[in-house]
Amino acid sequence: MTYVVQSDSLSKRYGEVLAVDDLSFAIEAGTITGFLGPNGAGKSTTLRMLLGLARPTSGQSTVFGSPYDQLKTPARRIGAVLEATDFHPGRSGRDHLRTLSWAVGIPDTRVDEVLALVELQSAAKRRVKGYSLGMRQRLGLAAALLGDPDLLVLDEPANGLDPEGVRWLRDFLRDFASGGRTVLISSHVLAEIAQTVDQVLIINHGRLVTESTLDELTARVGGAVRVQSPQLDSLAEALQREGIVTTRSNDHVLLAQGTTKEHVGDVALAAGVAIHELVTEGSSLEEVFLDLTSGTAPQ
Amino acid sequence: MNQLRAELLKIRSTRTTIGLLLGLIALALLFTILTCTLSPMDQFVTEQDQSSLLSFGSIAGVFAALAGVMLFTSEYRFGTIRPTSLFNPNRSRLFATKITAGVLSGLVFGVIGEGLVFSIGLMILKIRGVPILMTGANEIELVVGAIIGTALWGAIGVALGSIVPNQVGAVISLLAWGFVVENLVFGLLPKIGRFLPVHAADSMMGPIQDKLLPGNAATAVVIAWAVVLSLAGVELLKRRDVS
Repeated sequence: MTYVVQSDSLSKRYGEVLAVDDLSFAIEAGTITGFLGPNGAGKSTTLRMLLGLARPTSGQSTVFGSPYDQLKTPARRIGAVLEATDFHPGRSGRDHLRTLSWAVGIPDTRVDEVLALVELQSAAKRRVKGYSLGMRQRLGLAAALLGDPDLLVLDEPANGLDPEGVRWLRDFLRDFASGGRTVLISSHVLAEIAQTVDQVLIINHGRLVTESTLDELTARVGGAVRVQSPQLDSLAEALQREGIVTTRSNDHVLLAQGTTKEHVGDVALAAGVAIHELVTEGSSLEEVFLDLTSGTAPQ
Repeated sequence: MNQLRAELLKIRSTRTTIGLLLGLIALALLFTILTCTLSPMDQFVTEQDQSSLLSFGSIAGVFAALAGVMLFTSEYRFGTIRPTSLFNPNRSRLFATKITAGVLSGLVFGVIGEGLVFSIGLMILKIRGVPILMTGANEIELVVGAIIGTALWGAIGVALGSIVPNQVGAVISLLAWGFVVENLVFGLLPKIGRFLPVHAADSMMGPIQDKLLPGNAATAVVIAWAVVLSLAGVELLKRRDVS
């Protein structure tokens, strides 16, 4: 298994506050992972440790097999956006990118490419203080993309974006990951990234609460998979043989409790049953998220 | 070299350093023209008088130090320290690059500040018929000392900016130290005060004065201050988390 990011018993203490507590996880290549937790859960601190900006109190983390600061020219493999405000307001967007690209020998042609990619060409020579929040978010993303990285790390990138901006970001990330590249994206709002991510890491009070796919997550807390099929009886029998509890919603729809849509699909295929619809539903994702992050006692 | 180019672009791409440079030019011109044209002739009768007047360009050191302070504190103030650190994860190298950029910008401040004061001051004195008593060697020593001293102030500013990343705190610390603390210490304890950076630099960048260190010793002391502050600055940069 190829892990792009690995965290091994990572902890960070600020005085009396244990911001990150023995956090271990691994992220596979080619995935979009949502890094979730309420405000103050330790997400940003964890990302800063992964990126060599903060020193762990104990434990270690690696990116592409090495600590970030020991990678040769990490900006060419990892792009990160940690804040939407990391710009000198008096500097133009293009010059901001050039202060970064020149440091690692990236040519100006690439600067212009990423400006076009985030649709900021027309504002490239304007001072950043005249940019809207959405434009600043996109400029940050442009900086992260300068090195044409294999991994993107984004800390709350949808903060303050209007719905159009959120959709732009979602489309962009899907496109980025479609080429087999990896994204780690943090958020305190599950719904904000639920349509984008393959899997989630949820932390609370610095501890890992769960690590799973969205479907597994929903199923684990009482969600159900809704299946529409012309052969509902056969499907119900096949699922019950697998120990899955089913209930009929109507003549054509069945709800399978405590499982994933992948599992239901596999069972249906094995039983030779046609499926017309397969959807995970049940508890809303926000309910799941709140449920998971409400039970851990603070340190 | 790539990192240095990037640092120099940071200096060029905002109005802060340009503003400091224009401030220096305005102050240098104002002081030189007013002093040289309005002061009575008997204030320029000795070589010491003339050296004192023409060494006013050493005020460039204050501007170079402020520009140096900005190199680090602007990064913290505006959050660019995060992307900067991500693109330059080796903090010792980042610090060395900024120190070099600070020295280079200090050289520019020094050349402009001392160049303006010296050339315009000398020209006005000659027009007024003042006999120039400074020898060529003294002139070179004065100009070169001022320029090198200003470059060292650029480095000291960068180091201070790393030690005190809060921009307001760093600027106030610099000005309070230079204009208040050192003068108090020098006034009360001149034998100690002459080893402090501003007074050592005064000797390095201006005419010889009784209570100050001789030129070479003063230069060594200023370099030592720049080195000590740089070591403190790089160590703190390496230890400090980027939040």
